[in-house]
Amino acid sequence: METIYTPELAKITRIESITPSEKIFDISFVDKEVQENFNFLPGQFVELTVFGIGEAPFSIASNPNNKVKFQLCVRAIGNVSKALHNLKEGSKVGIRGPFGKGTFPYEKAKGHNVLAIAGGLGLAPLMSFLTYMIDFRDEYKNVMIIYGAVNPTNILYKNDISYWSTRDDIKVCVTVDNPDDKWTGEIGVCTKLIPRVDFKPEDTYTIVCGPPVMYKYVVAELEKKNFTDDKIFLSLERRMECGVGKCNHCHIGDKVTCVDGPVFSLWDIRNLKEAI
Amino acid sequence: MLYKILKKDDYRDFLTHLIENYEFLGPVKKDSATHDFVRIKNFDEVDTNYKRTTIAPAKKILYPSTEKLISYKIEGEIKVESTVNSSEKILFGIDACDVNGLNFLDKFFTSDFADEYYIVKREKLIVIGLDRMPSETNFSLSMGKEYAKDGFDLFLTDLGNKFFVRVGTYKGSSLLQKYAKTQDASEADFKDYNKYMEEYRKNFKSKVDINNFYDNFEIIYDDKELWDKVAKNCFSCGSCCLVCPTCFCFNVKDDMELNLKVGNRLREWDSCMIPDYGLVAGGHNFRPNKENRLKQRYRCKLKTFVDRFNTYACVGCGRCIETCMAKISIADDINLIKKEVSV
Repeated sequence: METIYTPELAKITRIESITPSEKIFDISFVDKEVQENFNFLPGQFVELTVFGIGEAPFSIASNPNNKVKFQLCVRAIGNVSKALHNLKEGSKVGIRGPFGKGTFPYEKAKGHNVLAIAGGLGLAPLMSFLTYMIDFRDEYKNVMIIYGAVNPTNILYKNDISYWSTRDDIKVCVTVDNPDDKWTGEIGVCTKLIPRVDFKPEDTYTIVCGPPVMYKYVVAELEKKNFTDDKIFLSLERRMECGVGKCNHCHIGDKVTCVDGPVFSLWDIRNLKEAI
Repeated sequence: MLYKILKKDDYRDFLTHLIENYEFLGPVKKDSATHDFVRIKNFDEVDTNYKRTTIAPAKKILYPSTEKLISYKIEGEIKVESTVNSSEKILFGIDACDVNGLNFLDKFFTSDFADEYYIVKREKLIVIGLDRMPSETNFSLSMGKEYAKDGFDLFLTDLGNKFFVRVGTYKGSSLLQKYAKTQDASEADFKDYNKYMEEYRKNFKSKVDINNFYDNFEIIYDDKELWDKVAKNCFSCGSCCLVCPTCFCFNVKDDMELNLKVGNRLREWDSCMIPDYGLVAGGHNFRPNKENRLKQRYRCKLKTFVDRFNTYACVGCGRCIETCMAKISIADDINLIKKEVSV
């Protein structure tokens, strides 16, 4: 019997090592029909099983318009993610999802400016939104992507960033905390770049994802620029063990991150004590 | 709802029939202080005369402390299996606030995503409730949970020489028809029942002032001194959650069998009091201190589900108060918060 806890078999079709600690996994469901019917929205996540080890949540990092496969960008940091890094192309994993009612405002933001702010691995969840948005680029106004990484080696999605830089309808600013000798770009945390944003607050949707510590500093900078709470969206991390609102480890106030999130508007977050 | 009378003389026969024909779970004395719901094979094992609450709570029958969610074979082609099954059981002798505990879990496990493991067991469970005088720490009257409006098939109230029986479902009615000699409740029976209930409600010694808690909690939310005081003695042991009839948090873990060919994914009761409750991969802990965790528990019990289901997630059974080694009492703390805010 299929239950809410039963994973569907999927295959890792491609693995790309993009930094010393992060790999991108291309994944397709074994059952073609399941793959064709797998529709997700920007910001949603899946629960991935490494058989014999366990299950963990990962935000989907690829374009929702791609019906052949989806991608996860995973840092080897926990039991499951470390085991996942040891798998080879062709390995089978289990997938449940997509989960999360709270998604990035890919529809609402149409006809408006988009400001994306990512810290570290936080760029991965934003990729589902960014790749989707670029597919429908004409439907959005100005686009600016601010991305902060610890050092140049840890910059994710270097190819995508280069591609964005070549386009004159996307403004990309990458900054690193610890530059190396070759680094000629910005230095410092990503919040430093927010003052340079010249979008009109009432006409701009902001999406943010990064480590927990980053949010209040980003929010403070956005407030200085009079960005409003209803147009700022943050993807929150929590211990989402079950993905279906039952194990409760990811609750924040009356919300469970896995069902009601993981993306919340800043207005929602202000009503959830301890969310950021 | 149907109202019937079962004579005391016929009670033994009725239960004996049920014990013979069903997997029958009822309260049994475990030691001087503890009763538990276990399988009963003989009428004389049934002991409904317990003063303290039963440990563990009846939720264990629908939501076992450890439960297999899936199993998988990893040799050759990976195969995943999830088996959901349950047999018909009778749960006899749970009191009104515990029936309300099940009612809460019913709502919880069927909302958003329906949890098949719980639901299948619940559908197969015949619940026969039994009123009993409240234990010392029971404050369910204040929580509005001392009376079960629904969630049972039959509910018995001992009126001395007879039981007043509320029949909640067709299944309950069929059981009576098949296995018991009953008659319709008369006006006099109703009067006796009302008198009992009046007396029952007078017997609640532990009371809380839950009115306005919803708002008061916001007022004292950031009062660090208060929460430090409330949680000062907490051992973060999680006993309060394990004995709670409404707590539902669980951990998920995968275990391989010794042959390393078959893996089982289990869920196990967890507690929001345990230090690693909010720990994520990479080492960040979203709930690192015990004051915050206890505050969160009170919020979950007394506020979160007022927002989500318009009900408290605490039935006031008093088990956590009996069980807490640090003598932390949610009842005292509700009253303390009320007092702090009133000052």
